[in-house]
Amino acid sequence: MNLPDFDYYIPASLQDACALLAEKGPGAKVLAGGTDLLNKMKHELMAPEVLISLKKLDQLTSIDYVSGKGVVIGSMATHNAISNSSLLQEKYLSVCEAAQHMANNQVRNVGTIGGNIVNAVPSADLPPIFIALGALLTLVSTNGERVMPLEEFFTGPGKTHLAPDELLTGIVIPDNSFTGSTYIKFGLRRSGALAVVGVAVAVEMDRNICKDARIALGAVAPVPMRAKKAEAMMIGNAITDELLEQVGVCASTECNPISDIRGSEEYRRDMVRVFTKRALRKAINNGHV
Amino acid sequence: MSDNYTQIGKSVPRIDAFEKVTGQAKYTADIKFSNMLVGKLLLSPHAHARIISIDTSEAEKLPGVKAVITHKDVPSKRYGLSPARWDENIFCIDKVRYIGDKVAAVAAIDEETVYKALKLIKVDYEVLPAVFDAFEAMKEGAPQIFEEYPGNINTEIHQNFGDLDQAFKDAYYVRTDRYDGQRTYQCPLEPHATIAYWEGSKVTVYSSIQSVHYLQYYLSQVLDLKMGDVRVLKTYIGGGFGGKMDPSGLDFGAVILAKKTGRPVKMWFDREDMFFNNRGRHPQFMNITTGVTKEGKILGVHADFVMDGGAYTGLGIASAYYAGALLTILYDFENYKFDMLRVVTNLPGCGAQRGHGQPQPRYAFESHLDNIAEHLGIDPLEMRIINARKPGTLTVQGFRVDSYGLKEAMEKAREISGWRDKKGKLPQGRGIGMGNGGFVSGAGYAIYRTDLPHSVATIKVTDDGTSAILYTGAVEIGQGSDTVLCQMAAEAMGYRYEDMKIVAADTDLAAHDLGAYASRQTLMSGAAVKQAGEDVNKKILDTAAEIMGVSNEELDCRDGIVFVKSNPEITKTFAEVARTYFVKNGQLIGRGSYKPPKLGGVHKGSAVGTSPAYSAATQVAEVVIDEETGEIEVIEAWDVHDCGYVINPALLHGQVHGAFYMGMGEAIWEEVLFDKNGKLMNGNLAEYRLPTALDMPPVASELVDTVDPNAPWGVKEVGEGATTPTMGCISNAVYDAIGVRVKSLPFTYEKIWRAIKEKK
Repeated sequence: MNLPDFDYYIPASLQDACALLAEKGPGAKVLAGGTDLLNKMKHELMAPEVLISLKKLDQLTSIDYVSGKGVVIGSMATHNAISNSSLLQEKYLSVCEAAQHMANNQVRNVGTIGGNIVNAVPSADLPPIFIALGALLTLVSTNGERVMPLEEFFTGPGKTHLAPDELLTGIVIPDNSFTGSTYIKFGLRRSGALAVVGVAVAVEMDRNICKDARIALGAVAPVPMRAKKAEAMMIGNAITDELLEQVGVCASTECNPISDIRGSEEYRRDMVRVFTKRALRKAINNGHV
Repeated sequence: MSDNYTQIGKSVPRIDAFEKVTGQAKYTADIKFSNMLVGKLLLSPHAHARIISIDTSEAEKLPGVKAVITHKDVPSKRYGLSPARWDENIFCIDKVRYIGDKVAAVAAIDEETVYKALKLIKVDYEVLPAVFDAFEAMKEGAPQIFEEYPGNINTEIHQNFGDLDQAFKDAYYVRTDRYDGQRTYQCPLEPHATIAYWEGSKVTVYSSIQSVHYLQYYLSQVLDLKMGDVRVLKTYIGGGFGGKMDPSGLDFGAVILAKKTGRPVKMWFDREDMFFNNRGRHPQFMNITTGVTKEGKILGVHADFVMDGGAYTGLGIASAYYAGALLTILYDFENYKFDMLRVVTNLPGCGAQRGHGQPQPRYAFESHLDNIAEHLGIDPLEMRIINARKPGTLTVQGFRVDSYGLKEAMEKAREISGWRDKKGKLPQGRGIGMGNGGFVSGAGYAIYRTDLPHSVATIKVTDDGTSAILYTGAVEIGQGSDTVLCQMAAEAMGYRYEDMKIVAADTDLAAHDLGAYASRQTLMSGAAVKQAGEDVNKKILDTAAEIMGVSNEELDCRDGIVFVKSNPEITKTFAEVARTYFVKNGQLIGRGSYKPPKLGGVHKGSAVGTSPAYSAATQVAEVVIDEETGEIEVIEAWDVHDCGYVINPALLHGQVHGAFYMGMGEAIWEEVLFDKNGKLMNGNLAEYRLPTALDMPPVASELVDTVDPNAPWGVKEVGEGATTPTMGCISNAVYDAIGVRVKSLPFTYEKIWRAIKEKK
């Protein structure tokens, strides 16, 4: 395996990066952690003529609370930076836990949240929890900045609404009133396995009554998806084991999985049932978001 | 008796520990020679296709390319690790037989150029229909992969001992079960690499290979070179497990490219290339029928198997024989029939993976025995105790088993695992199971017919006696043979392990040995080393007797000190005696040589399964199964091994842990997958799921004491035997947990989920 030839740029500012991206056109690819891109290039699944590295854009690695906005995570923050962030551990421990169950430590050290989102792999671990928490994306190009809910960002496996000259610069988790959240990844071994099913939930509980619930599923549709019918069964109701089981069944009918070498459609559907139920139970009992 | 030993029976640090831990150890791919070129193989993109033409002209024109070779540039002689079926060419001539088959090779000044050149080689193929399933391959009208294997049947075995029909008539209960194995790959950490360079008519080959001898032999055979002109050696090797036994395209390619260019050439596999080269475990499809008495005594067994060999034979014919040969070792029964069809398919060729042919049949047989025990209402462990082979007996095929501690291993495993409190008494979703296994301690016969000794050893004591060098052809591939053999040499010499050095696995500089396979080195290389050490010891005692003015019978030598037995205060150091010997007689050298006695019966294939000594092992595993998802967690495991006298306990227990790990991986996670066109789907470590450290349970490794009369200090094997019980053991634990049998490997979470669902 060997990397094909390409031109390489390391812009020193966001403006330069955007200008380069606009100039070089669709033959250019943005290089963040490279854990996905370089691998695909070595396997000849992708042959960009130009790579634009973001490694000099230090401002994209920060994780901050911006009042009036929420928690802002720079797109170049690595999985380990997210999992070790004291801010996130305090405000969104579930996000840290999701990042911690990604791939393996070597990948977590270099792989970025921006790359994880932009690659739009259906089984990616971080989009479901961010979708459950209502996260927004900041997209920047030479024409300026726009904001888009993460939930609407994906259009298919490997496909998004990101324009060819656009960069994902950050993920914002707006302030919210969720009382619990979690992400459960079901992979086929303890570490270093892609999700067969990933279920993220966020709930707002008032004692035993569910006031709000969001259920986001990974690896069971062309894009990470909300199980909105299942959510609706939760809202306004008292939580019982029977209800959670029904919600799980509902989510399993809402999803649209494929059969592949990691699992059949039938298995994935049933795992959606199981892990939706378990994730909801865990989020309700967790006491943290 | 073992208390008297000073060098063996001890967990001394590995002789290569410092180099490995500090990263100084250089593996083949780390080595550089000046002016060295790099080379890669061009592999077939089709599972079955006729080669119409190959045009290398564009590749040759690329600046930096120094040589491009195809079948036209190399001898057309076929080869294979087993001489019974030579069916592989260095490069495909008329057709390719699987995706990944070898078509051409390029040498160039750097890696980048090599990859570009590979793309410039134009091969015209006429794609042929292909077949990827052993049973489909045997059907009439199936694509024929080789003219010489009609019906794609590559090996057919029919063995019949005793009177099985009568045994089944006499039986209280006769049962047939079918179990299926899967294709797995060894996945050694170190990818294969080879470097070759020529000096005149002589070639030197560095290879990450398990046997320098066989590689030397096959290179000389296929390339028509004198063995004496071929030097094969290795540096450090990062695991083999049977996947580095066969000569690979790298070995032939590097030698020929180096000849053509007049420069050293390094070639290596990527991780995916390793899966193409394969030589991993054969998938076996196993019908097994057993007749027993009411008490559970086995009267007869019929093993009726099919195995998928992939495209080439390699050592596969031996795998086919091993599958049936070793089933008779553990339990004593008089009537046995073994039928086997080894079938070729358009997939990478299979070979010998840890336990060689036997782990899947053991999985089938151990699962089958539990079914029988359940039907009879007998504890499965107690039923096995009734049947366990006794020491000093012959199997039905005529294999002599001297020391044998299977019964004791089971009894100890029963005790340390808490078997009686757990079997059948654990809550739903939690289960315990056991399985037995074992292996040969070296094969009784070499892979090709030869009268050469199997192991030779030479020990040279350095001039002033302060160190000694062991020369052996044994191959250290990570298992610890360099350490163990130096301990053995020091013990036999009366010397100190700390003062030993070793020159191993170099056909020029070391001594002859058949290498690291069939769990042979501790016994066989050890036997030669012991003799060589004793030869040195005798010379030391003779010389010391002269110096000290006593007879040599009055002297002994231990831990580097010669002393008078009746008065141990009177001493000379080994070093000063050795120096005296050197001054008077020249270099102090000890020699040893080992060849097993004639073993085995007279039936066809009777050589496979013979060994001077057989190990035995019992494993117990406890599992917890998530009944909603089918996820299986092995929470604890116990292994009790009869491996004779133990030279280095730490290394031994390391082998047990590694073997259990590997067996557990094959039981639950590992399977090489192909799509419907024969394209490899998971040739990487993300999707070929070896277990991780987080998946590994605590393993209690214990021993039973036996001393085998046919082995130096009574040693036996451990490395492969400990993988053979694991799949059956986990199979039985899963059954105990969920009450339903998963009848094919691996026990993926989805298969378990489905089995639970179907039960409901």
